Amino acid sequence: MIQLYPASKRYTVKNDWLESNLSFSFGEYYDPSNIRFGPLRVFNDDTVQPGRGFGIHPHREAEIVSIVLKGQLKHEDNLGNAGIIGTGSIQRISAGTGVLHSEFNASKQEEVQFLQLWFSPDEKKLTPSYEDISYDLEQMHNQLLPVISHTGSERVAKIHQDLTLYLSRLDGKETLTFRQEEGRRIYVFTIEGEISINNDNILKSRDAARITDLPEITIQASQDSFFLLIDLPGGEF
Amino acid sequence: MLMIRHSIGSRLLCQSETYTIDEKEDHWLISLPIDEETASKVLEFQDELNLFVTKEKEKTWFYSSDAQIKFLPKENQLMILADHKTVYPV
Repeated sequence: MIQLYPASKRYTVKNDWLESNLSFSFGEYYDPSNIRFGPLRVFNDDTVQPGRGFGIHPHREAEIVSIVLKGQLKHEDNLGNAGIIGTGSIQRISAGTGVLHSEFNASKQEEVQFLQLWFSPDEKKLTPSYEDISYDLEQMHNQLLPVISHTGSERVAKIHQDLTLYLSRLDGKETLTFRQEEGRRIYVFTIEGEISINNDNILKSRDAARITDLPEITIQASQDSFFLLIDLPGGEF
Repeated sequence: MLMIRHSIGSRLLCQSETYTIDEKEDHWLISLPIDEETASKVLEFQDELNLFVTKEKEKTWFYSSDAQIKFLPKENQLMILADHKTVYPV
């Protein structure tokens, strides 16, 4: 089954420094029918104004992934990590038993856009950890490039959950096929452009699809497109 | 001020100016007055609660990793046995 979630149906939080489009219940937005998709708990599409950001705050028991789409994000945490990541970089925080961090727009001129995803970890009470990686933009051209996985590897961040997150830039009219084991889930989010899944399920910019019981899908771009695909475990969460 | 928030997005579930915190070895027994309806809302998310004591320049973060929380209906009291405490500046 393919369920489409148009960008316009997302919940929007907007103030003088932040616009956040929420795909799942988060903060003030609480919809008991929209809590998670498997281990995926949070999918926030954030834009932060220059010099502004999220001050120091804690998290626990979550695998937190930030994907910078535009601009630069400045990270600091109580594990001793500090740095700036930009387009082509991904940050993974395993909050485990507790981490304090802040995330600010590193630029005084340009806004920063990033996706923040939270997953339930496959194990509780993990030691908190941090990792950031840069991926090769060329390697996702007309193919699926893994950037986060359970095992991790060079230029693939390791996450404590049985999932793989792929990025792809697909030229207009190009097609990709994705296969997974039966019983798993697929989440697709279009970052830019327009794609179709199995011909008649159209995803425009910032639309999403939650897919179950369909271990093989075909993705076609109707124009040059940039999208994200997550291979997620099945079962109860 | 003591605030009880959901750990996903920090939604405020309950706050109280009145509370006690008793330190017991490496645990903290936190109790606060609460009505039954609010207690029910808090207990619904008992596995995903963060507690914050806020002062002018610092916050103290508590949580109970094994969701040790109970409501005493006769006393209208919520009791939480926290096993984690972190103080940080704000």
